[in-house]
Amino acid sequence: MARLRTIPTDQIHPRDVADKSVKGSLERAIRMALEVESGAVRRNTQTFNLGRYQATADIADYEELKDRARAIKEAAIESLSELLATLEASVTSRGGHYYLARDAADACYYIKRICLERRARLVVKAKSMTTEEIGLNGVLEQASIEVVETDLAEFILQVSGEQPSHIVAPAIHRSRERISQLFKAAFETDHPLDSGEDLTRFARDQLREKFLTADIGISGANVIAADTGTLVLVESEGNIRMVTQAPPVHIAVAGVEKVVSRREDLAPFIELLGPSGTGQPLTSYTSVITPPLDFPSFSFGGSPARDRQFHLVLIDNGRMTMREDPVLREALYCIRCSACLNVCANFQTVGGHAFGGETYSGGIGGSWEAGTGTLQKARFTELCTGCSRCVPQCPVRIDIPWLNTVLKSRLDRAGGGVSLQKRFFGNFYHFARWGSRVTPFAGSVLRLSPSRWLLEKMAGVDRRPDLPESAVRPLTRQYRQWRKIQAPSVSHAEQETPHRKALLFADVYTNYTLPQRGMATIKVLECLGVQVELSRVMAEGRATLSQGMIVKAGRRAENTAAYLESRIDQGRDIVVVEPSVLALFRHDYRHLLGNPALFEKLKANSYDPIEYLLKIIGEDELELKQIFNVEETAGGRIFFHGHCQQKTIDATAPTVTLLRQLGFEIDTSSAECCGMAGSFGYKREYHELSMSVGEDLFNQVRQTEIPGGDRTILASGISCCEQIRAGISRRVLHPMELLAEVML
Amino acid sequence: MHSGSESLIREFVAAIGLTGATVELVSRSPEALKHAVRRVLSGGIEVPSESSGSALLAEPDDLPSELWDPLRNLEQVVDNPPDNQLRSARVGITDAFAGVARTGSVCVAVTAKLGGAVSLFPRSHIAVLEARNIVSRPGDVFTAGQLENKGMKRSFVFITGPSVTADMGELVRGVHGPDHLHIIILEE
Ligand code: SF4
Ligand code: SF4
Repeated sequence: MARLRTIPTDQIHPRDVADKSVKGSLERAIRMALEVESGAVRRNTQTFNLGRYQATADIADYEELKDRARAIKEAAIESLSELLATLEASVTSRGGHYYLARDAADACYYIKRICLERRARLVVKAKSMTTEEIGLNGVLEQASIEVVETDLAEFILQVSGEQPSHIVAPAIHRSRERISQLFKAAFETDHPLDSGEDLTRFARDQLREKFLTADIGISGANVIAADTGTLVLVESEGNIRMVTQAPPVHIAVAGVEKVVSRREDLAPFIELLGPSGTGQPLTSYTSVITPPLDFPSFSFGGSPARDRQFHLVLIDNGRMTMREDPVLREALYCIRCSACLNVCANFQTVGGHAFGGETYSGGIGGSWEAGTGTLQKARFTELCTGCSRCVPQCPVRIDIPWLNTVLKSRLDRAGGGVSLQKRFFGNFYHFARWGSRVTPFAGSVLRLSPSRWLLEKMAGVDRRPDLPESAVRPLTRQYRQWRKIQAPSVSHAEQETPHRKALLFADVYTNYTLPQRGMATIKVLECLGVQVELSRVMAEGRATLSQGMIVKAGRRAENTAAYLESRIDQGRDIVVVEPSVLALFRHDYRHLLGNPALFEKLKANSYDPIEYLLKIIGEDELELKQIFNVEETAGGRIFFHGHCQQKTIDATAPTVTLLRQLGFEIDTSSAECCGMAGSFGYKREYHELSMSVGEDLFNQVRQTEIPGGDRTILASGISCCEQIRAGISRRVLHPMELLAEVML
Repeated sequence: MHSGSESLIREFVAAIGLTGATVELVSRSPEALKHAVRRVLSGGIEVPSESSGSALLAEPDDLPSELWDPLRNLEQVVDNPPDNQLRSARVGITDAFAGVARTGSVCVAVTAKLGGAVSLFPRSHIAVLEARNIVSRPGDVFTAGQLENKGMKRSFVFITGPSVTADMGELVRGVHGPDHLHIIILEE
């Protein structure tokens, strides 16, 4: 191999901030990532993200396939002990060796023993997060065994000394320029090291010789079938095929959760892994092998061919305990496809050195770091805003933000209680109500720098962004006044039994900060003959839940649900303006309500305003031109940013559909999330990250305005609206406000 | 759709195009196959300068010997290669027991016939496949009754296009495996 030099380190080395249980490491990691790694991570993850949308759209039975994958994993984890016994029998009956390691030390000890028994001097390794988890390389190197990572990304990390920044593409944080710099500093060689082609050729030449002379190959496994002992190994480069075929000894290391029951169960995972991860229908090589392979190893360079030896080392290291934990058990279903990393706006911006721990990263990473390490190592789950974009992407249907909410709440309990910052944001309800009583006084007080300084010091509220200001007149008051004026003309709707009755849920955000969205909705619906009642204002649990305050959120959910049920029973449909609250009713309440039937009832009867509008127009066979001034709307230019949680519950499409039908020329945002995500961007330690996430969205608005000039900007979420205003100082409307304007 | 149908072949050919591999259909006869392989060896596949000119021929796992035997006499072809030849060969020729229409993949057995190594070490790989063994999707390889249950029994690899990486900042072909894959489909 070309000579290795010691490498100069950047200011903050990712390794130094890998363990997030160390105080201050998360904040330092974010700073480092924003300064150094953000560009490469963003480009790479967004490419994967787009690829996944395209590849999964090509699978006609994608949803059923996910159901099958989920069912197979549930059944496997349920009967894991029996499966392990079956697997042991399959492996040993073929002459392989099986070992179940209790923990990291046990696994490393076993593997080191094999290496020493075989007098191994050189071990070639394929990518395996599990061997990262157990720290295998260090143990072998201490025993004077040369360990060579052969996956090109892992090869880079071996040179840089960094931990993986992504579970599938571990060097995703390095641009070609930074790889080139690294290699030039590290290797003395005449080989050109500039283009991707140069770097790849160089690494390949280095590694080819290693494959041919290695004593042992160590791989991971993506899935393992218990009945036959078959391994699935997914890759693009060919190094896994080399590692598993070229050396005489193959050791496969995997977590116990990788085992499924039967060989035919491998199929859905093979079909889902590529599309969900990098967006390829299948990656270049998917090996389906049942080792030991039944032909002798090769004899390169004179050494005689030998019979093959195979060891399957399965690792518990906390997994059996995760299995007993109703929440962490979910993580055992994870097939490490990386969809939840690539879709995540925060991950796209900082990558896994900040949004990750020593081995695992991204939304699901916290559960893995907690399950195989300590709860404190999962502190980076603070970066999960609960935007929920990962939920529909997960091939085994894990509710990743829910896992993170539970981790946050456990972390708070372990840390001696909920911080003042979280209580501040969790109790937005009280804050907003107070603000509305003393408005305009509160607004102006909060703009004074001493109060912002105090708020920042005491509650960690960043002093830079404008806080949502309380409206002068909350929705409840505006509604009452409007009703008084409207009374004579609307009375006909109330005298005859109205055709449709709805309850507009006065969520705290709409009510106290942007009531005009609520009023616009009420006016449009009433105009279509819907008799609208405004709910009372109540804290429904969104803010508390997003701060990980589960018990309190649960109480608020039960209260709200009981109230809403009484209205549904009166024949009212529930209309919710703020999408994060609608998503709460249609998604999160499943975890918070004791009664699943009540959850289903709420879910079936609650609507996004435009979704509801389209339903009415369809069912009542109304014509758009009878309701809206279509001459005015035709050709109007719009930029629409759907809210993250609204997309997840499939409530965004109706807006686009209706606006198109009205003849608007509409461009939609492809940003997964605006970055504000409720209160995330107001927090002192995350404000910069939040604005950096927002840049994608701001740029898109600018891009779509280059030809043709300004567009009307629409956003359905209040925090998206605040974020866009902060980023590009423009007026942002809720789609309902626009519709109210163009009503006949 | 039953395996090998016209529409499956068409879907398969289109999908191969997206993987970066090349494909041709020839009629299922010893002469036609030999002719096709000769044509590919003599210029159809670019010769990377550092490799010697040899083409390694794996033993077929499934194709009958009347189809395979004529290939042994082709110029450049090394039949029954010693292991050392794997290091430097230019082309590897194997049969494939299945093709997957949706993904453009071929399934090559990893057995004592050495298809696993011959399809991996050289810079180019030629895979020969019978049209009737094209199935619709990857999962079909694991379906009882399909492909005489070969997919349920043996060790094999789904090969989808050439070996690639994007780890070095841009998509590069030919990392540890071949940088070129050519698929020959034998039609009845
Ligand atoms: S919920 Fe959103 S922020 Fe949290 S992991 Fe999923 S995509 Fe990322
Ligand atoms: S949690 Fe789901 S989406 Fe995320 S890596 Fe695991 S399987 Fe993929």
